[in-house]
Amino acid sequence: MSGQRVDAKVVMLGKEYVGKTSLVERYVHNRFLVGPYQNTIGAAFVAKVMPVGGRTVTLGIWDTAGSERYEAMSRIYYRGAKAAIVCYDLTDSSSFQRAKFWVNELQNFEENCRIYLCGTKSDLLDDDRRKRGIDFHDVQDYADDIKAELFETSSKTGQNVDELFKKVAEDYVQFTSFQEMTEEKGVDLSQKNTPTYFYSCCHH
Amino acid sequence: MAADVHKKSGDVLNGSLFPDDGQHAERSESPTPGLAQGTEPGAGQEGAMFVHAQSYEDLTSTDNPDATLQMPGDGEDVQADQTMIEEISKDFSELSTQLTGIALDLEEEIRQSKEDKLELSPQASRRDSVLSGKEEEDVAMDAWRMHQKHVFVLSEAGKPVYSRYGSEEALSSTMGVMMALVSFVEAQENAIRSIHADGYKVVFVRRSPLVLVAVAQTRQSEQEIAQELLYIYYQILSLLTWTQLNRIFQQKQNYDLRRLLAGSERITDNLLDLMARDPSFLMGAARCLPMASGVREIVSTCLQQAKAKSLVFAILLSNNQLVSLVRKKDQFLHPIDLHLLFNLISSSSSFREGEAWTPICLPKFNSSSFFSAHISYLEQDTDLCLLLISTDREDFFTVSDCKRRFQERLKKRGVYHALLEALHTPFYSVSKVGIPYLRHFIYKSKSSGLFTSPEIEAPYITEEEKERLLGLYQYLHSRAHNSSRPLTNIYYTGSHENLLAWVTNAFELYMCFSPLGTKAAAVNAAHKLMRWIRKEEDWLFILTPQTY
Repeated sequence: MSGQRVDAKVVMLGKEYVGKTSLVERYVHNRFLVGPYQNTIGAAFVAKVMPVGGRTVTLGIWDTAGSERYEAMSRIYYRGAKAAIVCYDLTDSSSFQRAKFWVNELQNFEENCRIYLCGTKSDLLDDDRRKRGIDFHDVQDYADDIKAELFETSSKTGQNVDELFKKVAEDYVQFTSFQEMTEEKGVDLSQKNTPTYFYSCCHH
Repeated sequence: MAADVHKKSGDVLNGSLFPDDGQHAERSESPTPGLAQGTEPGAGQEGAMFVHAQSYEDLTSTDNPDATLQMPGDGEDVQADQTMIEEISKDFSELSTQLTGIALDLEEEIRQSKEDKLELSPQASRRDSVLSGKEEEDVAMDAWRMHQKHVFVLSEAGKPVYSRYGSEEALSSTMGVMMALVSFVEAQENAIRSIHADGYKVVFVRRSPLVLVAVAQTRQSEQEIAQELLYIYYQILSLLTWTQLNRIFQQKQNYDLRRLLAGSERITDNLLDLMARDPSFLMGAARCLPMASGVREIVSTCLQQAKAKSLVFAILLSNNQLVSLVRKKDQFLHPIDLHLLFNLISSSSSFREGEAWTPICLPKFNSSSFFSAHISYLEQDTDLCLLLISTDREDFFTVSDCKRRFQERLKKRGVYHALLEALHTPFYSVSKVGIPYLRHFIYKSKSSGLFTSPEIEAPYITEEEKERLLGLYQYLHSRAHNSSRPLTNIYYTGSHENLLAWVTNAFELYMCFSPLGTKAAAVNAAHKLMRWIRKEEDWLFILTPQTY
């Protein structure tokens, strides 16, 4: 698995116990492990190849630990990420506050990273609507404000999980083809004798 | 060279080792003719993998095990110290009676506070217990009091950091009392080391800004309990670094450290459980997975060849047994650091998914900064775990590529199946040695920092029996390493088994015999066992460690 080329770096962020690992587990292995809660230590990397519109995209997914202990070094995990799946537990309003924190981090340090808000454990709401911790419309408004996609998933039933990652991969393809076009223009410019400061910057 | 080594060991085996008189634990008057360190069975041919001569004494050298209370200063006036200590012990016995009183009052208070908490936030408390992965015990129940060993960690402000059993919140007043004890003695320019009462040992280890306390009913010596507490301290450092820990408490004295340690309780719980049943910790050494030396050599070479600039240590292990270890030249791993790594891996199943990349501090190597550890299993359904320790946290893909290259080489050299084969027999039977009445043994080569031990077999079948056997070894070990009166040869006659310990500056040997054997037979058996270990050493140990 390792050593292979990765197209898009995707980072999972969110408070501990919201189910980031379960989401990845469902997507990559299509399974849901029942058992005592195992918190992630540091971060786990896993790559998955996905077909998107006639080509394949390899997503390199960084499943980070939610513990505050790793917060200071979380940047190495999301630096250069093309997409961030910011998770919150649909039944836990504090986890949504934490999600907002991550969104701020990303907006400040990774402006090119696309944000996907993901409310997890939607199966818990199926049993009892009143368990919902944050109003759906509030979250939708927030998502619109930050120009993020919003998904509600259940790793237990698999609901919406593939759709979420499919959207991530499709957006990546669409976004990079657009970027390639703009970059080509940039290359044209730099063909001239004086390199722009962008390029001199890259050499340092 | 091999012949030379044999001759040296032969010399020792012919030496007079055990005095003939006496029944129970006793001391040999004759100086034990020791093997020179580095020539004992199991000693690596090209030097050690670990920090050299790491003995038990080094671990606890700061603690004086004999003095329940000890002056921190040199104590020029012994007489004055003596009276002082007596006075303080008197104060103490009064305090301890007070403490029992307090404990009873506390019960009520704790129950009260627990009820309050439940009313306030049932959600939060449920989540806490889920996060820490343990079922919270009611600290007011008898069952809670019956535990063999409690471990508490608190900050100098008296704030709870960790409790092995029961929730920290419920124990905050108890921990306050503990801190009060520590401060009370310190106010008189003294330090509390332990309280011995009613079959309990209460042991204190002070490592500013933390205080660690154990309340044990086990047979362990105070020294050994203190050592376990130090392990817990190092475990916390491995997550935070010493520098960060100190900075936090300098900035905010009453910081709640549990915020930063959230999710690590399971690692600490696992460490405590492991210490109760794995002799690695007692021995201060690593156990090797027995394996044909040819296979091990190729595996080590493959591991050595899959190198990267930032790699410092590469460790291949299976169920807390070392398969191979490659280190950067001139860099040595400390056994404590290795044990913490083993514990980290065995405490979490999360490494089985994908590749983990986590900051980790190896406190005995360097307590001020993090390494980055790449942790992964070679295949999902094997127990072979590869641990690559890098200095560069940005180097994930390079290090990950080392793993891929290692796996490729293993398959190309055709040893992968032999390696998996060795995993099927992680332990050998003591019957292989061919010594009647011998039930079990532990042999440690001091220069290599490695030990070997057969499978624990009947009559030690239940977990309790196994822990009892380890408890006997612990007892022998503490007698052998008592810093005021160390013993080199011990023969212990018990009602269920006879034990023999033989400790030199080159090796340590602990043997367990059926109770029907005689001492003379045991001494002969020790010689025979040493010859067997010598014969099998290339299968039992890593004799040719590799370096980058």
